[in-house]
Amino acid sequence: MTRDTYVFLAVLLLFVVTNIGLVASGILAADWTGLGVITGAGMTLALYSFLYKDNPLFKFAEHVFVGVAAAYIFGQYWYPTIYGELIAEWTDLEVGETANWWLLAPTALGFLMLTRFSLRFAWLSRYSFAFFVGLGAGLTIPRYISSFILAQIEPTLQPLSLSWDGFNLLVILVGVIGVLVYFFFSVEHTGVAGRVSKVGIWFLMVSFGASFGYTVMARISLLIGRVTFLFEDWLHLM
Amino acid sequence: MLFFNRTLPLIIAFAFGMLGIVIYYVPHSGAQSVEREMALWVRIVFAFSYLLGLYSLLNLHWQRIRQHAAGWGYSLVAIASFSLMMLFVIYNDGKGPFAAQAEAGGYKWLFDNVHVACASTMFSILAFFIASAAYRTFRARTPEAALLLVAAVIVMLGRVPIGREISEFFPAATDWLLNVPNLAAKRGILLGVSLGAIATSLRIIFGIERSYLGGGDE
Amino acid sequence: MIQKLLDIDRRIIFVLVFVAVAVPLLAGMVMPITPTKEVQAAYDEIEKRAAGDVVLVSFSYGASTVPEMQPMARAILRHAFRRELKIVAICLWPEATGLAQEVLEDMAAEFELQYGVDYTFMGYKPGNFSVILNMGQDFHSAFPQDNWGAKADELELTRPLRSLKDFDLVFDLAAGDSIEFWWIPYGQEKFGFPFAAGCTAVMAPDLYPFLDSGQLNGLLGGLAGAAEYETLVNHPGKASKGMSAQSFAHLIIVAFVIIGNTAYFVSRRTRPEQRS
Repeated sequence: MTRDTYVFLAVLLLFVVTNIGLVASGILAADWTGLGVITGAGMTLALYSFLYKDNPLFKFAEHVFVGVAAAYIFGQYWYPTIYGELIAEWTDLEVGETANWWLLAPTALGFLMLTRFSLRFAWLSRYSFAFFVGLGAGLTIPRYISSFILAQIEPTLQPLSLSWDGFNLLVILVGVIGVLVYFFFSVEHTGVAGRVSKVGIWFLMVSFGASFGYTVMARISLLIGRVTFLFEDWLHLM
Repeated sequence: MLFFNRTLPLIIAFAFGMLGIVIYYVPHSGAQSVEREMALWVRIVFAFSYLLGLYSLLNLHWQRIRQHAAGWGYSLVAIASFSLMMLFVIYNDGKGPFAAQAEAGGYKWLFDNVHVACASTMFSILAFFIASAAYRTFRARTPEAALLLVAAVIVMLGRVPIGREISEFFPAATDWLLNVPNLAAKRGILLGVSLGAIATSLRIIFGIERSYLGGGDE
Repeated sequence: MIQKLLDIDRRIIFVLVFVAVAVPLLAGMVMPITPTKEVQAAYDEIEKRAAGDVVLVSFSYGASTVPEMQPMARAILRHAFRRELKIVAICLWPEATGLAQEVLEDMAAEFELQYGVDYTFMGYKPGNFSVILNMGQDFHSAFPQDNWGAKADELELTRPLRSLKDFDLVFDLAAGDSIEFWWIPYGQEKFGFPFAAGCTAVMAPDLYPFLDSGQLNGLLGGLAGAAEYETLVNHPGKASKGMSAQSFAHLIIVAFVIIGNTAYFVSRRTRPEQRS
């Protein structure tokens, strides 16, 4: 047996002994709730075992998660949309109600999308994708112009003043122009364009730094959540 | 066949693309009804796309099991856990598959104790790697990298209570960094992305961009 | 010596990060929390609504961000129900259903709420932006039934709702790009409703242009945003409890950055041949 096998068996034994102790002392209930907490703790520790190195325990937990997640999501698609809005439209009609025949069109497009699985009929799925992508493109254009371009240019082009706010407005204006020039690849970044795009890079760097700081915050928050679960819900140390 | 294979899909994309633009600018109630119907259609077609993803996932694991590929046992675990959860979806806390999905019983138990536990743990593992990366690779090798590093350190300290305990400078500087240079950069990116998205959308509508049709017979 | 410091086993770093998180949590350390103006603005949006106003709360997050987003959802809903606002909850992420239901059930018990009158839960609809587009024209077309199959036109709260115009405030709780790429272009842009949001920390810096343009009226960013909101509603919860651990973990990562850079520059000075 290798050193890693001993480590694995020791951790497993410790986990089992801990849970027996927790249940025997009454800290965890010997019911589905208690078993749920033990399962949650087990899955958490199995995934954290990756920090030591990639191992079968991690892969097991990872694959259990994938299977459960896929089926959970099926539950959310099945009744509210596929059954509730399509099948029930025809099967659960009350007296005097008429079905919405128009729904046959998106249903047909949906089924055509599934022909992607077939080598022979895969070309039929192009109709679904053409509808989906074409309509999506059409809906995007006016909304992006209005919400992102016009609505974002307006606050950038405000009257400047000799104040702190005026200074900030000027910095924003310079930054926006710099970043736009940096991403404008049709012009070679030399001379004035090069200097302006350099300013754009500085702004981008500050922005990426802020994003990095926030990303650290996000990941640490998730870690706090899991550690709190282990200490509070499982071990009752908090 | 070329007409049905390629031309008709391009006509469909053009027609629905133009429809999407026109209904935005026409305030008539008829246009609003069309918009409502189109949104409903997109919702339904979108729901079918999940089945595509599900098939891909299950097929991938099934093929691994069939071919006894490396790690096929884990694929078996994935299929088994999927099947178990599906049993609870169908059982639906005793109500069967033709009733609203009950967030109860085994469905809820597996969601709370496996799904939530695993999902948040997976992402929290990154906390350790991000710390390791901060130590090993986050270097002020150039003035630009130094700028990024300083901004990151200020934001990390400025957004948590201890930053304020150390100095009022950190929250104040963070506030300024986020609301001025960060805002400017993000706005510049947003404008660029929007222009790119609009250009791509026009290319799709006019049939110049066709990658969404996939490969195969043309 | 310097090289040894640079080549330290990463598992030592992992242990130090764990200790920085675990010790403040076990010690029960509490730190004072000062709300930022973005969080205050989100709070004010709920505060200025009158009793009986209808707020649409969109749960657009999944299980992977539960530690950040659930405390946020609790704090916002607690504030809204305290102000006697009516809540219509929807989910734009499939995994959000179980999470939203848990928070709503807790709130219903805490405030003795009547389902269908004080709040409704419409569940999940697939389609991302198209659900918002659909709701914009016809709320009942997008959500014909609630999460348990009751018809929307038979519930007292949802019966009179025709479109997004009928909501006095929309609050999106997001872990993806639903705030900027779904709600703003496909909802807020056309219907102009007051719009506030809570998001994971990863997304928060991307949303400042929308705060500046007034398309977004307030924002809670990550666990820190949730903790600030808990402070404002004077009900410290999991987010506030986690802020000391968050502080120490940030401090240790800053220390890693400083030590790593110092060692790097010292090693470059001592071994000039390795300069790149």
